Amino acid sequence: MTDRAPLLLVRGVEKRFGSVVALRSADLTVRPGEIHALLGANGAGKSTLVKILAGAISADAGTVHMNGEPVRVRAPSDALSTGVATVFQDPALIPDLTVDENLRLTGVEAGPVRETLDRIGLVGLDLDAPIKEIQLPVLRVLDLARALVHDPHLLVLDEITAALPADLAQRVVEIMRERRDRGRSVLFITHRLSEVLRVCDRATILRDGRHVAELVPGEGGEDRLVEPMLGEVSAAVAEPPAPRAKAAEGGVVLEARTLSSREYLNGVSFELRSGEVLGLVALEGQGQDRLFDVLSGDRPFDGGDLVANGAPLRARSPFDAIRRGVVLIPSDRMLALLPKRSVRENLASALYNRVSRWFSLLSNEEQLVDDVIERLTIDTRAHREARRLSGGNQQKLAVGRWLAAGFRTLLCFDPTRGIDIRTKEQIYTLLRGLADEGSAILYYTSELAEIPLICDRVLVMYGGKIVHEQAAATADEAMLLRAAHGLQEASA
Amino acid sequence: MTVAVAARAPAGIRHWLARYGWTVGVWLLLFLLIGWYATLIPSFGSFTIASIAKNSLPTVFLAIAQAVAVIAGGIDLGAGAMMVLANSVSARFMEGQAAGTTAVIAVGILAGAAILNGLVGWIIVRSRVPDIIVTLATLFVFSGVALMVLPAPGGGTSGGFRWIFTGSTSGIGTNFWPSLVALAVPTVLVALWLRRTSRGLSLYAVGSDPDAAYLSGVKTARAKITAYAVAGAFAALAGLAITAITATGDPRFTNASNGTLNSVAAVVLGGIALTGGVGSVVGAVAAGVILFVLYPILTAMSIDPNTAQVIRGVLIVAVMMAAGLLELRRRRTE
Repeated sequence: MTDRAPLLLVRGVEKRFGSVVALRSADLTVRPGEIHALLGANGAGKSTLVKILAGAISADAGTVHMNGEPVRVRAPSDALSTGVATVFQDPALIPDLTVDENLRLTGVEAGPVRETLDRIGLVGLDLDAPIKEIQLPVLRVLDLARALVHDPHLLVLDEITAALPADLAQRVVEIMRERRDRGRSVLFITHRLSEVLRVCDRATILRDGRHVAELVPGEGGEDRLVEPMLGEVSAAVAEPPAPRAKAAEGGVVLEARTLSSREYLNGVSFELRSGEVLGLVALEGQGQDRLFDVLSGDRPFDGGDLVANGAPLRARSPFDAIRRGVVLIPSDRMLALLPKRSVRENLASALYNRVSRWFSLLSNEEQLVDDVIERLTIDTRAHREARRLSGGNQQKLAVGRWLAAGFRTLLCFDPTRGIDIRTKEQIYTLLRGLADEGSAILYYTSELAEIPLICDRVLVMYGGKIVHEQAAATADEAMLLRAAHGLQEASA
Repeated sequence: MTVAVAARAPAGIRHWLARYGWTVGVWLLLFLLIGWYATLIPSFGSFTIASIAKNSLPTVFLAIAQAVAVIAGGIDLGAGAMMVLANSVSARFMEGQAAGTTAVIAVGILAGAAILNGLVGWIIVRSRVPDIIVTLATLFVFSGVALMVLPAPGGGTSGGFRWIFTGSTSGIGTNFWPSLVALAVPTVLVALWLRRTSRGLSLYAVGSDPDAAYLSGVKTARAKITAYAVAGAFAALAGLAITAITATGDPRFTNASNGTLNSVAAVVLGGIALTGGVGSVVGAVAAGVILFVLYPILTAMSIDPNTAQVIRGVLIVAVMMAAGLLELRRRRTE
């Protein structure tokens, strides 16, 4: 049975986006009539590979065969003719059109979709409702139903069960089994290892854009799946973290009590103290984006409480949060800065919120900005435009703006993404220094190895909740990755 | 956790109002204005109706052209120039021809305009230069070509051709039915095509969310090119209507630029989002007629033409602001 000709054969696929290598050498073999898991940590290249199979992007090198025939999908509109139907993480449905119009748009009859929806348990979905008024879980299932109508040889499901309520997730699993029983195959991308163990026949694991393992999930436990996802400890990180003075037992400056927001946050609670760097770790799509949006005032929350410096914080916009000293450093530095303005102008921009009298601003600005530049040792040669600075200097500038304006709490969302190791160290030093002076820092990172380098404590988020907490010094990557997959044995 | 699929009870009505409420509102405003106009002038009858119907045709067709481009996430600043070009070419070549020949020329112009503007769409898609820049260029190019074809106002057409748009071989009369049919038939056809066929829906799709459209298998380039081709044909139809109404061609640039600006105003007033994917051509048609009807109304109120321009502008902004306030309130209560 294992010798049957493969349905899908991917060999040596490479893809780079500018200087970032998403896939180095991806191999994948899916046999007819199997449910195949595609696993890997954040940034391993899973989504890139899915997009290549779907024809949304094209590979730089490598081959893809379906049923022994070489295929080159030029556009998603060609994918169905190769027998591949993909359900993306973000449903490919048009927000301003109704369900019915979306089906007609893609040449799908409403009848069979309705039947499939009934089977999945979404009875009575209003086909005349515009997509933008329908909740994400329903849209995922709708997208799945639409793909099923084509009866594809290979159904690719990218994180379909993420943010799905348990009953719907179970139905989706049943649908996958049905496909297998009919001799069709499913490629299942997920972070939920328990589902992999339960339903998948085989699993391929990617790490840093490379194929690192192919195994049968049923043989051995979850650890056998997690292990290959972890990289070797990189040389740059090998240096043991300098022993730190225990974080000053500062007071709580930001406290979340059972925060909830739509389906993304389901009761997030934590305390952030002055003088500490609190790490946050999560796989993609576990609600961390929404948490930072809520904390920084960009989006409202539905339930729970947020307390800043002892008083409730219900920000209607980032302006309110900033006034209360809660400021955000996003991972996209260009979002935080005025890219075409000089360093000085960028630093001064945050002051306008604080200084109400223009005359005092004019007299004060120079001095404040000078202080910050000196403190952060920002390279200000020729008063260059912010966009021409190096990534590290840009990030310093993003922090520096708030330094000039004053803040108590710094929310850092993956601030070292795409930055080289030397600059990362500068940012660690900067943030550590700020914490030692009494600032409170919440630090989300997609790189687990950063946690022991900069954080005092670490939280792990999974399914819109904090599921794990521990001292950063005792955290190792395997432990965090297990927790991030929701595998915590003793529930936190 | 269960997922609430069923919305509040009168979901059907709510969805219909959310989508077509604006369109209904614009049509009500139009009938209100016409009713008011009827009380302003001593003799409101079939002559007045015929006059309004035929004279609003160019604005309406141009509004449809712009609406189709904007719905697909683009904008066609060259639409006014395409109208002037079609007007100039038709007046030049239809002069002294029999009715049958003029009809053939008209069909040829429509087809040519569709192909030409489809080419513009292709350039936009392939070059990735923003729509607004490419079509700004075509505004000048088409205007220039119109002046080459017809250096000064002039030309003519057949009586039969005039009848199709005006209901009279002399262009003036009381028979308003042909004008109404000329207004209604293309409107209904293009509205049905846009909402009922997969090709038409693909225009809404690329305007609403190009990425989702692409991923769901829509041929986004083809949709955009189709939008510009249809827009070109409707802009040319506006030009043919001018030829039929005035029996001359007028290649002056101000006609082109005014036409484009009016069409954008009609699209906005008609409830079509300039960001694409939202709105109905039916609303833009009513808005087109409103923008025309304001002239005779303000004239009947003996308001001087310069003040009339100011009032027109203020009205557009006032309607948009009122609608914005309503929308804001709706979102707050939801």
